[in-house]
Amino acid sequence: MAPSTRTTISPFLDPGPRTIPNSLAILQLSRDNLQPVYLQTPTGKHDGYAEGAVVNTRYGSFPHSTMLGVPWGSQIRASKVDTGSRGRKRKRGTDDDACRDATPAAAASEKDNDDSAAPVNEDSAAAVKEAVADSSGFIHILPPTPELWTSSLPHRTQVVYTPDYSYILHRIRARPGSVLIEAGAGSGSFTHASLRAVYNGYPSDGQPKGKVFSFEFHEQRYHKMKQELLDHGVGDLVQLTHRDVYNGGFLVDGKSPEAEAIFLDLPAPWEALRHLSRRQPQTANDSTTEGKQTEWVSPLNPKKSAYICTFSPCIEQVTRTVSAMRRLGWVDIDMVEIANRKLHTSRERVGLNLNFDRGVNNSARDVEEALTRLAEIETRFREHAAKPKTGGGGDDDEDMDSGDDEEAPRRSGKTGGTRNGGAPAPEPLASSSSSSGTPPWMEGRLITRGEPEIKTHTSYLVFAVLPQEWTDADEAAAAAKYPVGGEQVVIGALDKATRKKERREQLQKLKLEGSRKARRKERDAKMGEASG
Amino acid sequence: MHSVIRANAWVALKLPSGSTKVLQITPNTTISLGKYGTVSSNLIIGRPYHLTFELQDKLPDESFSRLRVVPSDELHAEVFAEEAAAGCSTPAAAAASNDAVISATEGEEFSLVDDKGNVIARSNREVIDENARQTLTQDEIEELKREGNNAGKDVIAKLLLSHTALDQKTSFSLAKYKLLKTKKYIRRFQVLPIDVANFAHWQLEERDSSKIMDMRAEMIGLVGCWGNVHFGGDEVLLPDPKASTAQGDDACVSVDQDLLGGRWLVVDDTCGLLVAAIAERMGVLYDVDGSEREENTEDQNGATTGAEEGATGAEHLDLQVRPSGPGAAEQGVDTEMADPSPSPTKRQSDGKFKQQQKPRPSDFAIPYSQTNTITVIHATSQPNLSLLNYWGFDITSPNHPPHPLLNHLLNLSWLQLLKPELDTSYSTPPPSASPETLASWKPSRRGNFHRKRRRYARIRHIVDSTRAGNFSGLVCASTMDPISILRHTLPLLAGGAPVAIYSPTVESLAAVADCFSVPRRTAWVSGGEPEIEGLSGEELERWQGNERFPLNPTLLQGVSIQTSRARKWQVLPGRTHPLMTERGGADGYVFTAWRAKPAEGKVAAKGKFKRRKVEVDSEATTPAAAA
Repeated sequence: MAPSTRTTISPFLDPGPRTIPNSLAILQLSRDNLQPVYLQTPTGKHDGYAEGAVVNTRYGSFPHSTMLGVPWGSQIRASKVDTGSRGRKRKRGTDDDACRDATPAAAASEKDNDDSAAPVNEDSAAAVKEAVADSSGFIHILPPTPELWTSSLPHRTQVVYTPDYSYILHRIRARPGSVLIEAGAGSGSFTHASLRAVYNGYPSDGQPKGKVFSFEFHEQRYHKMKQELLDHGVGDLVQLTHRDVYNGGFLVDGKSPEAEAIFLDLPAPWEALRHLSRRQPQTANDSTTEGKQTEWVSPLNPKKSAYICTFSPCIEQVTRTVSAMRRLGWVDIDMVEIANRKLHTSRERVGLNLNFDRGVNNSARDVEEALTRLAEIETRFREHAAKPKTGGGGDDDEDMDSGDDEEAPRRSGKTGGTRNGGAPAPEPLASSSSSSGTPPWMEGRLITRGEPEIKTHTSYLVFAVLPQEWTDADEAAAAAKYPVGGEQVVIGALDKATRKKERREQLQKLKLEGSRKARRKERDAKMGEASG
Repeated sequence: MHSVIRANAWVALKLPSGSTKVLQITPNTTISLGKYGTVSSNLIIGRPYHLTFELQDKLPDESFSRLRVVPSDELHAEVFAEEAAAGCSTPAAAAASNDAVISATEGEEFSLVDDKGNVIARSNREVIDENARQTLTQDEIEELKREGNNAGKDVIAKLLLSHTALDQKTSFSLAKYKLLKTKKYIRRFQVLPIDVANFAHWQLEERDSSKIMDMRAEMIGLVGCWGNVHFGGDEVLLPDPKASTAQGDDACVSVDQDLLGGRWLVVDDTCGLLVAAIAERMGVLYDVDGSEREENTEDQNGATTGAEEGATGAEHLDLQVRPSGPGAAEQGVDTEMADPSPSPTKRQSDGKFKQQQKPRPSDFAIPYSQTNTITVIHATSQPNLSLLNYWGFDITSPNHPPHPLLNHLLNLSWLQLLKPELDTSYSTPPPSASPETLASWKPSRRGNFHRKRRRYARIRHIVDSTRAGNFSGLVCASTMDPISILRHTLPLLAGGAPVAIYSPTVESLAAVADCFSVPRRTAWVSGGEPEIEGLSGEELERWQGNERFPLNPTLLQGVSIQTSRARKWQVLPGRTHPLMTERGGADGYVFTAWRAKPAEGKVAAKGKFKRRKVEVDSEATTPAAAA
């Protein structure tokens, strides 16, 4: 709320206006090439770089100092960084790919080095060399979002991508204030997306806030994930537990998380399902739980319907999961799979009169063009035949020459636009584009086509709902509170006109009940409109 | 979201036929379920959502049918029976199956068994028109339906038993036949909450899908995620300037950039569905406090007046309201000024509304939160957000009961955004009058006076804060050309803010993406546009575009278009497959990108260019770019 608390809020939830030190940023190298970086204040030589920590990419070298304190979304120029004298005998310019590998390691070690947040002030770090802008190369720096994180995160397991998780979170009603259970934290893409969905403020003074209870079986992944959550400033919003949920269930410290939304990304969801019921299931297939019968606590919120989604790649898993769900009282069971396609837009340029740029199809645009061309060739051929023969091998040359003559002015006019692109004087371009009519980027027909490779199957999503328990006692209480017998009106099955009329009357009545003041005010308003 | 069906809540009733009825559950009414019968609304109010109710036979001394909650085991009984027969599951299934249910696989005679005991499916050849084999006449069926018949189960059983060719059916066709009859005769229904997912599904599948621009659940999810829409911080209100009525617009509170945060810009031509989806993601759609308050009072009343509460509810409220009416008139104070709360305890039990309750805020007090807000820009003088009515919010209501959207939803027209000086309500200074003059006026005139001042302050705040920019994201679902929307909204976005535009068709989005194509951007950066020579960064952001460059192509990064479709499957033992038909029509596409802050001056790209000629060029341009 207040700017003072801003620093503690995760950059995922409120990045603030500018990049800040020790916080995650996503570098966009090219459209689909994203790289996460924890920005460090330069405090001296780092890893052999005089500028402090540096990110090396194929688009140039970027010292962290050039990326700190800039507005999010900024285009960052590459800097002239001496990458050669770090013990590697490499010339500048060929450093690109080799140094790229070093980046994640560098980023990780940087974190250890300077954990004290030094001020961004460059003067304090006297040893730090001022970065010098390079002549070319740039990247963009973006604030982290679950989407960006998902496409840039270090893979540990199969990742739940945005098309899937966006749909899942919508269907399992993960909203601000919800409590969500996630089992199989995996690489953490779903964790980040779900914590954003349930976030409604950091927990304070005992007020219940939205929270994610995450469970991970794999110890190494658990530790990495734990560190990641801390680094991202969301440790308070996600409770990560290292556990085998098949046997251990979902209680945290013996207490129920009181969840209302569940996402299971497990190889055998049916094994975990029995822990997710309102009461201890009667058909528990092993006897291990029998001893605890009396103290069995449901991890679900008893006052809410629970929504679940399981994520399984194989149909056999789905069959077993659905079967188990039916037996455990889940209803509205629904299975879908998501097919997502990305589309690329481009200009389809077909025509004989176009230049020879890449992507241009130099064949006839339409029948007319083909016809003209054929007729032209035919005429030329006839003219040629009619001409008295003078030399032996001149034929072909002449033909080619004439063809070139025809092409030459056009080509120079067209390609001039793109080629002179960076020329200091814009005049030639302006004249060329005006002479040819359309600039090259507007030539041709605008088309969309799919990616060269598409994901045809991610996983099957099984959705279900577990209604809250409703006992005879509850029913009796509700029946006493809302006694039957006073019905006067029928709603629902009337024709549309009557229904509309009824609705109008109902609204009128509601308003009347609500306050007379409202009515009076409305009347006043009407009068005001009329007079004013 | 509420888990218990509240009085006067909108709910969706799912009927066995698969159709849905969306109704407001008024207490003490009879809800007609069409051919499935009628049910009293009081029988479902106060019960949880998602339960399946069954209409029981009327008791001899009662005029209505009571409801029974159908246990889920009974709902799935047929599948259990099938599983048991197939031997692929635990024996517990058999015990769970209900006796009244006739299963397709219960009797051996339903499927053909060959010599070796293997089941072979029957050929379709023998399946004959069903009506020809049904011995029950229509009259007999009607008669059966009229009798008490165990929620329609008897009719179904009799229909099956009287079918002469039942034994000739394959197990598949028998299951189908039974499902058909069950859908028709079983007297069950389920009550679902009206949340964005359920509502959008109903509007799409059963109502007018064009009204919501064919926006499917996949698209709502995608747009919300790519727009990075989430809770944008706790409510922050501007201090009340406590301006006296004699003060003019100089007393208004000015916009404080530092307080603004977590704001999303929305262009919505889906009648409010998009706004509802965004509000849901931001936690301002459901009136949680309101419900608690209501429940509290209900408890107070309910305990004592229990039985007649519903019937005399209106009178109760009348009694409560009465003091305010004459009281206000006598004191001769502005209607708004005197608001002796009908039941002070009722509202003060809730912390949030205390501020608004205690001293009446002055006319220039800004009711809107500075964070976690939705700003809707509309093309007409009033926004069309009619679908928000289903969540108890009516944007046209002048004196709205408490609702979270009230101080989190800001709306302004394109005129107010782009040419506020032409908008009367923005450019006309507020009236002012001394307290003495004011006292001499009639109450209605005084009311008008205050209303005008309040409206002025609000519109001024909305317009000024919107024009101040720095929005956290832009989400669109509009019939307008997205290029024109972006031209005016891109400068308002904070750096790195996401843009998500939904469109039912791809063409308009492709046109936007083309504005940011690589050749176009390259041409722009390398000085391909003489018009922009010498413009500053600020001017470039607000550049109005021309034919060659409709938008400044450097303002967005990571431009991408995608589409998503959920394919539904039927999961039944041995019969798992995708559904045969699904809704067609518009596919729906989402355009996504991030707002970039281009570096000032020329920036040359680095990298290996594939084309030989251009490489030579890039060498040539580099010194120019560096200069």
